[in-house]
Amino acid sequence: MTINGNGMTAVNGETLIEVDQLVTHYGEKLVLDDVSLTVRRGEILVILGGSGCGKSTLLKHMIGLLKPTSGSIRYSGVDITAMEEDELSRLQRGMGVAFQSGGLFNSMTVGENVALPLREYGNVDEELIEPIVRLKLSMVGLSAAQHMLPSELSGGMLKRAGLARALALDPPAVFFDEPSAGLDPIMASGLDELILSMRKLLGLTFIIVTHELESIRKVADRAIMLDLGKVVFTGTVAEAEASAVPRVRQFFERRADEFIAQRNV
Amino acid sequence: MTETRIACPDKLNQDTGRSLLDEVRSGTIAQGGVVVLDLSPTESVDSRGGAWLVEIADYVHSQKSEFRVEGQQGLVAEFIDLIQPGLAERPERAQVKMGFFEGVGDEALGFIGELRQARRLLVEAIYWTLLGPFQGRGFRWANWTDEVYEMGVKAIRITFMMNFLLGLIISMLSAAQIEPFGLGIYVADLLVIAFARELAAVMTAVVVSARTGAAIAAELATMQVQEEIDALRSMGLNVSQFLVAPKILALVVCMPCLTALGMIAGILGGSIWGIFVLDITPDVWFHETLQSAHVKDVVQGLLKAVFFAVTIVLVGCHNGFRVRGGSRGVGLMTTRAVVADIFCIIVIDMIFALVFYYLMPAKL
Ligand SMILES: Nc1ncnc2c1ncn2[C@@H]1O[C@H](COP(=O)(O)OP(=O)(O)O)[C@@H](O)[C@H]1O
Ligand SMILES: [Mg+2]
Repeated sequence: MTINGNGMTAVNGETLIEVDQLVTHYGEKLVLDDVSLTVRRGEILVILGGSGCGKSTLLKHMIGLLKPTSGSIRYSGVDITAMEEDELSRLQRGMGVAFQSGGLFNSMTVGENVALPLREYGNVDEELIEPIVRLKLSMVGLSAAQHMLPSELSGGMLKRAGLARALALDPPAVFFDEPSAGLDPIMASGLDELILSMRKLLGLTFIIVTHELESIRKVADRAIMLDLGKVVFTGTVAEAEASAVPRVRQFFERRADEFIAQRNV
Repeated sequence: MTETRIACPDKLNQDTGRSLLDEVRSGTIAQGGVVVLDLSPTESVDSRGGAWLVEIADYVHSQKSEFRVEGQQGLVAEFIDLIQPGLAERPERAQVKMGFFEGVGDEALGFIGELRQARRLLVEAIYWTLLGPFQGRGFRWANWTDEVYEMGVKAIRITFMMNFLLGLIISMLSAAQIEPFGLGIYVADLLVIAFARELAAVMTAVVVSARTGAAIAAELATMQVQEEIDALRSMGLNVSQFLVAPKILALVVCMPCLTALGMIAGILGGSIWGIFVLDITPDVWFHETLQSAHVKDVVQGLLKAVFFAVTIVLVGCHNGFRVRGGSRGVGLMTTRAVVADIFCIIVIDMIFALVFYYLMPAKL
């Protein structure tokens, strides 16, 4: 018995994305320093770390929006940092990205936002677009918002609408930047459930940036922790909770020692 | 109640979903009946298949019938749970249609509301512009100098260019008319009067409304959208005092300077044609130019520039504050601000022209 998005066969455990020795700068400023990680098909990987440690930047590199100073990012063995523009955009159609602040187009209704990727390159029956849009919106609990404009939604609704758009094409890999930041606990927990069902039912792979402890414990298969641009921990959540790395302990115990001294470097 | 049972295929996907819909459509559904999809044979559903289920549910509801799925097991059942809200009946979308007179009335009310808002902004802005600099607190001089640099200094080149070229064109056109009568030298007089009274002020105002007017509207609209204006208000700061007054003060200083520059540029531009094409010696040309230059004309131009400055800032701010929605609203309001700016400039110019026509007519 299999249920897959877009008829893909999920071979769980196989390596999907491989980031190798990634170094990147904003101008002179070093943001990521020698970051390596792997994402396996069908897993939920969370990227942890304090504010401003480069999580969003790492995500943007993984989806090919930014080019690194050095290092490689391979999808099934193909390096995207060396790819031509059109080859890259073909690959990007297989990624769903939900941005930190939604990233919805303001001039379109929520429904039109979700329909956009389907219209552009879904090779979907015209007749099927509307029901797909409604299906995705009802999955994230936004059926009622289909004909509303993004400016009429609250922050949490925008996030879920962004997720619905990211899922429109049933992409094998979904990137999600801080899904539960700014959501109420009920909504945040609902979103976690949703992510788990999606993975189970559609065989999707999730790469999630978050710092909600609850949510990490609930959804994550593996976690990787960044601090000041470096990877300080990789492993399962249970390993992370038991880890001796000071920064990781501090994170899971929610201690703020040396907070001021550390952050004002 | 009549019940129609339809068995689902074992794999529900893009293709089988479509044939399922066709099957439901071809069967006659009794009004007020129930359509039951039997999912017990189904072993897998993908999301396209789920979308067809949504479409089928919608069709059944549109036939005033009830829709149910039954017999789903395991993962299929979980999937159905996930998409359940999409299978429920949708409330009709209320379409509010206005009649013609209602529409006109609505527009008129909206316009009156906007005028009222504009009047309040005008009063507040003038109050804070006159008081602002003399109150120790609240007026940010550093901010003011930044604005002067941005609005004035950076506009020097484009203002000079536009007026210079316009002068050249006016000179060219009018010379073609009066040169045959041997009166080419009077082009110099015409240039001075036209640029001092009219052209420099209007041309500069058009340049400034495209640069600064648009920038002000876009900036304030973005601030409004990102709740920065709300933040200001919640700190108890007056928006007119904090945002509008420094801009008015800056542009009121910049505009007359730019206009004066525009006058010089226009006259210089015109003189190129006079001296090099009409072959009038620079001596004679500039003597004639100075002869026809009157303080009252120049003052008229500069006075207009001050009014234009206030108008451009207020129209920009007014439209910025009125923004609705996100990025799209910002674009719409910026366009609206520039159009309104140019319209207001021409109206103000006409009023000045009328007043001065009767008070002190232009004579060669
Ligand atoms: N466009 C940018 N230009 C310059 N610096 C940036 C830019 N975006 C982010 N940064 C800096 O890079 C660091 C990492 O940012 P980001 O990846 O957004 O952090 P976070 O982990 O909170 O998502 C921060 O110190 C931030 O100041
Ligand atoms: Mg971030």
